[in-house]
Amino acid sequence: MSVALAPRRFAVAPGVRFSGGRALAILSVLGLCMVAALLASAVLGEYPLGLRRVLLEPLSVDATVFWRLRVPRAVLGAVVGAALGASGSALQGLLKNPLADPFILGVSGGAALGATLALAVGLTAFAGPSLFAFVGSLAAMGLVLAVGRTRRSPYAALLTGVIFNAFASAAITGIKTLISPDRVGEILYWLAGSLGYESPRTLAGAAILQVACVGVLWRQSGRLNLLSLGDEDASSLGVPVDRTRVVVLVATSLSVAGAVALSGLVGFVGLIVPHLLRLLVGPDQRLLVPASALGGAAFLVLSDLLTRLLFPVFHAELPVGVVTAVLGGPLFLYLLQRAEART
Amino acid sequence: MSPAAALLALGVLAAGPGEPAAVQTLGPRAPGRVRRVVTLAPSLTDAVLALGAGDLLVGVSRFDEQPEVRTLPRVGGFVDPSVEAVAALKPDLVLVQLGPGNQRPVAALAALGIPILALRLASIDDVLAGLRAVGVALGHTDKAEALARALAETRAAVRARAGGFPSVRALFVYGFEPLVVAGPGSFADELLRDAGGINVAQDARSAYPVWSVEHALAAKPDVVLDATHGVGGREALQELPGLRQARWVTLPSPALLHPGPALGQGLEELFRALHPVVPEAGR
Repeated sequence: MSVALAPRRFAVAPGVRFSGGRALAILSVLGLCMVAALLASAVLGEYPLGLRRVLLEPLSVDATVFWRLRVPRAVLGAVVGAALGASGSALQGLLKNPLADPFILGVSGGAALGATLALAVGLTAFAGPSLFAFVGSLAAMGLVLAVGRTRRSPYAALLTGVIFNAFASAAITGIKTLISPDRVGEILYWLAGSLGYESPRTLAGAAILQVACVGVLWRQSGRLNLLSLGDEDASSLGVPVDRTRVVVLVATSLSVAGAVALSGLVGFVGLIVPHLLRLLVGPDQRLLVPASALGGAAFLVLSDLLTRLLFPVFHAELPVGVVTAVLGGPLFLYLLQRAEART
Repeated sequence: MSPAAALLALGVLAAGPGEPAAVQTLGPRAPGRVRRVVTLAPSLTDAVLALGAGDLLVGVSRFDEQPEVRTLPRVGGFVDPSVEAVAALKPDLVLVQLGPGNQRPVAALAALGIPILALRLASIDDVLAGLRAVGVALGHTDKAEALARALAETRAAVRARAGGFPSVRALFVYGFEPLVVAGPGSFADELLRDAGGINVAQDARSAYPVWSVEHALAAKPDVVLDATHGVGGREALQELPGLRQARWVTLPSPALLHPGPALGQGLEELFRALHPVVPEAGR
């Protein structure tokens, strides 16, 4: 992989001035998209809901399906999607690399290795895989930060993450050959990424974590813009370069670890959504970070709705990570083509 | 964590990691007269059908191929049942084969207030206990007792007959590429012992290990039992010294692979595969 891909693309486009009105308009549209996705996800599905019964008969199957299955799952999708979108946007800016996705800093490897270990030893009770995934991704983040501290270049962090992911993937393959096939099936399913049903308390905790992390990233977004000029220039403009880098790395890693613990490895959201939005709204991180959070939420909720709507076709819910990749890839190529043709 | 999930977790812990009890109930108690049953594995569907309670079934897993349930709605697989699809069928009992993969969706179903009967089905004793538990739940206690007794009798008869033959060294193969065999603690391992076989993969580290081909050659089995349903890779191994002289037998039916009431038939088939000179049962 080339780590020195065109940092120029990430500089703030000279023609587009940040204006509060434009930002508000764009974020409002994306916010409405997210709300529409949430509503669609709660209303549509395998079971035909009677909305009257949902609202008036709290003990009916309709109300149960709506309030205890669909709403929590849609909220989970929004929380995870927002985390992945915002983190992807911030990391692509920080590392000046269009290939950076939220998983690139070893977080996915750490999470996957943690969850695999938990599943391999049969520690499925008490949300074992989720806890292990969270701890694993934080450990990976610690490694990346420790190595990044000795070398000042952002590529040190990037390379550490990539190497750690490769190591983790080999370790997982090793573990998979040593354990029984039913557990391998579970590991594969977990790695593919899917949204399940979490308790309101878990959802609230996850939402608080993600609001805090995305908030931190948004606060740092102005500095992320300046960092794209290069460390010296940013430093001369008063940006505490090292501190900003550590704050953004910690916030994205916490955010992604929290997301991965609940959903497994949902790929593509953190890569595709910031890219799409950069094509549409420009590279200014002050707009791109919140826009990617809202867009990521809408995209993941809609992808999950699609896995549920496709259930009668496959008699199975495809892992949502499969749908995000299948939808996101072609959509991105199409928009890239259009954008290139325009310029 | 919901109370049901906590209960499930406790049950799992009590039996050691990954070892749920043979029969567990989750969620609320099933009604005295169950009318709508969803099964999440073919062996459980087999049990319901064998009890003559097929008309109670309203949903099955996507792996169910029995003609009796061909038109029923599918609710997903063993690891990934769709909670919404199950709930939509308004079952008053869901039959589950508990595994490490499906604890979360099963706990979610229990938390929705759906009665669940969870079976382990990892050994013949588990199958007998499961059959009886399903019988009690569906109000077919006598039929279940009769089936369980018949299966136990078949087992005893096969064991007795096998006692009259020298033991046969057998390799039980689930897949050739890679070589996946029945190791200690697997269902087939137990059945092999009943039918007068010695599992040459007894020293493997797990129940369904990926085994080394060199190990297989060195073990020099008398019989190789092919339970792969023709997925290929067999020809390459069949020519190797150490395996060439073995008798290669393709298992005639999947009865041996489903931990359900058809096990008796599967055990008879296995016995004939190991001791082919014996004429049909009845001797």
